[in-house]
Amino acid sequence: MKAIELLGKGEEMNGRAYVKIDKSELEEAIKTLKENGYNHFVMLSCIDWLDDGEFELVYHLWSYEEREHVMLSVRVARDGESMPSMHELFPQIETYEREIHEMYGIKFEGNPRLTPFFLEGWRDMPPMRKDFDSRKFTKDVFGNISTIEEEEDEGI
Amino acid sequence: MKEYELFIGPQHPGITGNMMYHLWAEGDTVVKAECNVGYLHRGFEKLMESRLWMQNIPLVCRICVPEPDVNEAAYSMAVEQLMDWEVPERARYIRTIVLELARISAYLMAIGGYAGSIGIYTLPQWMTGDRDYILDIFEQLTGARVYHIYIWPGGVRWDMPDNLPGLIERTLNYIEKRLELYDDVLFRNRIFFDRAVGIGKIPKEKAIEWGVSGPNLRACGYGYDVRKLEPYAAYDEIDFDVVKYPELGKFEALSDGCDVYTRMIIRRLEIEQSIDIVRQALKKMPEGDILLKHPNWLRWKVPAGYAFARVESSKGEYGYFVVSDGGLKPVRVHVRGPSYTHGINVAERILKGANIADVSQILFSLDICPPDIER
Repeated sequence: MKAIELLGKGEEMNGRAYVKIDKSELEEAIKTLKENGYNHFVMLSCIDWLDDGEFELVYHLWSYEEREHVMLSVRVARDGESMPSMHELFPQIETYEREIHEMYGIKFEGNPRLTPFFLEGWRDMPPMRKDFDSRKFTKDVFGNISTIEEEEDEGI
Repeated sequence: MKEYELFIGPQHPGITGNMMYHLWAEGDTVVKAECNVGYLHRGFEKLMESRLWMQNIPLVCRICVPEPDVNEAAYSMAVEQLMDWEVPERARYIRTIVLELARISAYLMAIGGYAGSIGIYTLPQWMTGDRDYILDIFEQLTGARVYHIYIWPGGVRWDMPDNLPGLIERTLNYIEKRLELYDDVLFRNRIFFDRAVGIGKIPKEKAIEWGVSGPNLRACGYGYDVRKLEPYAAYDEIDFDVVKYPELGKFEALSDGCDVYTRMIIRRLEIEQSIDIVRQALKKMPEGDILLKHPNWLRWKVPAGYAFARVESSKGEYGYFVVSDGGLKPVRVHVRGPSYTHGINVAERILKGANIADVSQILFSLDICPPDIER
C-alpha cells in the first residue's frame, strides 16, 4: 500500500493501512500524505483504552487517486495529556477535536474553538469515557421518577 | 451599518431539521454564521458500546431518519470485514435494491424540502406522497416503513416475496412519470433559475480539502462516487455512469458548477440513475441463499481489529469505524456522517456573504441532516 511505503511503517488491516505513529511525528505524517494525494480527511476517531490508561486517536485519510484509506493511530495518556491541534491542515478537524474535547476531555493545543458542542451546562466527567457510568448518572439525575414496574404494584 | 444577530432554527421551517444557525448580519447580508447543534443528541455511540453486536442493528438505522438503510449496510459491512465473511450473491443484489430505493425516497424528501425553501409548496406535498409508495414497498419487504432493520451482518433478514418485483416495477414507472411533472414545477421553473443559479458556491479547489462528498462534490465537477470507488453490495456488476457537472443531460449547465442550481440538478438526475440501477438489479438477481449461517448471537464474538466501511448515501460519504477487542460487544463504533462536514464547516464558510433570504435554500441544497451530526 502506498501510505505504508510513504511513511515507512504500518500494516494492512481489513484492506486499510493502519499506521502507529508518535505524537511528535503526526503533523509531518499528515502533511506527507496530503501532498501525495491523500487529500480527503475522512474523520478523527477516539477510542478509550481504559485498561492501558490511554486514549487512541485515529486520523482517517483517503486518497481518491489511489483509492486507499489510511488510519494514523496516536496514543495519548488518559491523565490529562494534551495533543497538538491539526485544524490548519484540514478545516473540519476543528469540529472533530471540539467533539473529542467535550466527549473525552482531551485538550487540543492551538484549537481556537473548544467550546461546548452537543452538551449544555455539563458538569460531570466527559461522557464517552469508559469509566463514565451512564446508569448511575441516569439514576442520580432522574432517579426520583419511579419505573413502571414499581408502580404496577399499585395497580395502574 | 450596525451588525445584528439572527437565530434561525430549530423551530424555523426553513431549517433542515433540529438544529440552529446563529447568524450575524449587516443589512441583509450574512457576515458570520455559526452552527449550533445539540437538540438531538441521543448518545447512540455510547449506547452501542454496552450492547451486543446484533443488538446494535436496531440502533444504527435510527442515526439517519430519511435514509436509514445506509447505516445498517455500513455497520454490517464493517462487521463482515472483521468476521471475514462473504455475503451470498442474492443478498448483495437485494441490498442494492433496498439501498437504491432508499436513495430515491431520500432524494424525494431532499428535493421537496428544497422546493419549499424557495416558496414552491406544491412539490413537498407531492413528493412526500410519492415517497409513501416507496415506503409501501419497504413495508412488504421488511414489515416496517421507516426503520427497516433488514440488512444484517452476513446478508439480509428474509427473502423477497414473489410479488415484490412487480410492485417495484409499477412504482418505478409511476415515479418516472411523476418526474416530468416535477421538472415542470421546479427544474424548468423560472423561480428556480432566478433564485438558485450562482448562489451558495463552494470553491472548487477547496471542495475535497473541506471534506465535501456525494452529490455536493459531484456538482463541483469531481466524478467521485463510493459506489464506483469502492464497490459494495452488487454495484460492481451493474452498469452506470457517475453523474457529474458539467454533464447534466437534458438540463442546461447555467453556471460554472458548485452552486445550489447544480447540486439540485445532480440530485434530480440521480433519481433516474437509481431507477435504472434497481431495474438492472432486479433483472440480474440470482436465486440462492440470502443469509449466512449465523452463530448464536447471544454468544457471538467478533475477532479483534479495526474496520472501516463506507457507503454512498444520498447525502454523501457515510462511514462506520468499528473497533473490536474480540469480545461480545464493540469497543467503539464511530459514525462518519456526511452532514458533519457539510452542516458545520462547509455551511459556516459558504453562508458568509449570502443574502438572508438565501440561507434556507443553501442549507437545503447541501442536504444537511442533523441526526448524523449528533448520533
